Amino acid sequence: MTHPRWPLAVVIPPRTIGLDEFARRARLHPQLVQRYVALGLLDAKRDAAGELRFAPAQLAVVARIQRLRATLPLNYAALGLVLDLLDRIRELEDASRRSAPPWT
Amino acid sequence: MAGDYYEVLGVPRSASAEELQRAFRTLARRYHPDVNSDPSAEERFKEINEAYHVLSDPQTRARYDRYGPDFRQVPEGAPAGAGASPGGGRSTGRGRGSTVRTEGVDIDLEDLLRGFGGFRGFDDWGGATASMPGADQQAEIELTVEEAYRGGKHRIALAGPSGERSYQVTIPPGAINGQRIRLAGEGGRGSGEGAPGDLYLVVRVAPHPRFRLDGRDIYTDVKVAPWEAALGATVPVATPGGEAKVRVPEGSSSGRQLRLAGEGMPNPRGTPGDLYAVVRIVVPKRLSRRERELYDELSRVSTFDPRAES
Repeated sequence: MTHPRWPLAVVIPPRTIGLDEFARRARLHPQLVQRYVALGLLDAKRDAAGELRFAPAQLAVVARIQRLRATLPLNYAALGLVLDLLDRIRELEDASRRSAPPWT
Repeated sequence: MAGDYYEVLGVPRSASAEELQRAFRTLARRYHPDVNSDPSAEERFKEINEAYHVLSDPQTRARYDRYGPDFRQVPEGAPAGAGASPGGGRSTGRGRGSTVRTEGVDIDLEDLLRGFGGFRGFDDWGGATASMPGADQQAEIELTVEEAYRGGKHRIALAGPSGERSYQVTIPPGAINGQRIRLAGEGGRGSGEGAPGDLYLVVRVAPHPRFRLDGRDIYTDVKVAPWEAALGATVPVATPGGEAKVRVPEGSSSGRQLRLAGEGMPNPRGTPGDLYAVVRIVVPKRLSRRERELYDELSRVSTFDPRAES
């Protein structure tokens, strides 16, 4: 029996999630998810049919939005600012960790 | 384990309601799980919220002042001195609401309406959402250069919500500064049916007396005698993986970098880094008679001027 011949490499398109599936996994109403997208709090792309597609990593963003909303009196504009600032801090911390420490 | 509620908030027992609120807000911001990814911050955040939840209500505060940590065991309105039932300790969140009287109590109404003062810790996020995933957490794991080079199993202990947690983690060979090791589901706890976050261990390679790291490249000094530098020599050089030999070409001055390709940090997913042996000329502290004669002769014969513009 011959082995099937597999291609050496396949390009896997990044997996995305549709609105209903995303809302189900985030435990939110799809309309609220759409609202977050409209407010620029969540990143989503529209597919050929015009449906929203989400990267799985956006589930972590939703979780963060929920935690921040539950614990701080933030409106949506302030929430967006907090999300952006937290992202930037994270990037800067990562960069400073990777760069040569002072003892080199 | 939480200490005294006043100590948790860092205020004196005589603190006014305003001082309490200021301390609470400052601390709650600092230890918010989305701002502070340290694994110990989650527990601290809960303690801060619990302390403020009790102390911000003048009636529960009075009961806490009188009965201490066991105040919940004392029926409301009980006369001073009524026995607190022992063995209960503090409750941890559930059912706490029932002991708080909201009637005619002077709490920050604005906060309550906006959901801030009503926050009751991770077991109960105040009711807006029943299930919420936990936040990702981050902790540093410090490795020596040799440990990072070899990889292998490591035990790490972290302060967690239920005491100290200990993990055995496998570090891949060639871990570098800033590299993350993910422990799925070991981060902040979710509420309700929310999934826990992940715990990321961020590698920090400790300073080493001999090896300096730049990404996957390793720099180390190689000491040579003046004549070795001038005439060339093959000398041993220590690497994190053991001893290697490096050829010092003739005419090597201090600072010359001799590259040992592939002898730097291993890379499980690509080419390893290089090791650079940096030449450092070392002279004898004291010269023997014969050595002095030879150096004297050399200085008379040589026309070399190290300070000449090249």
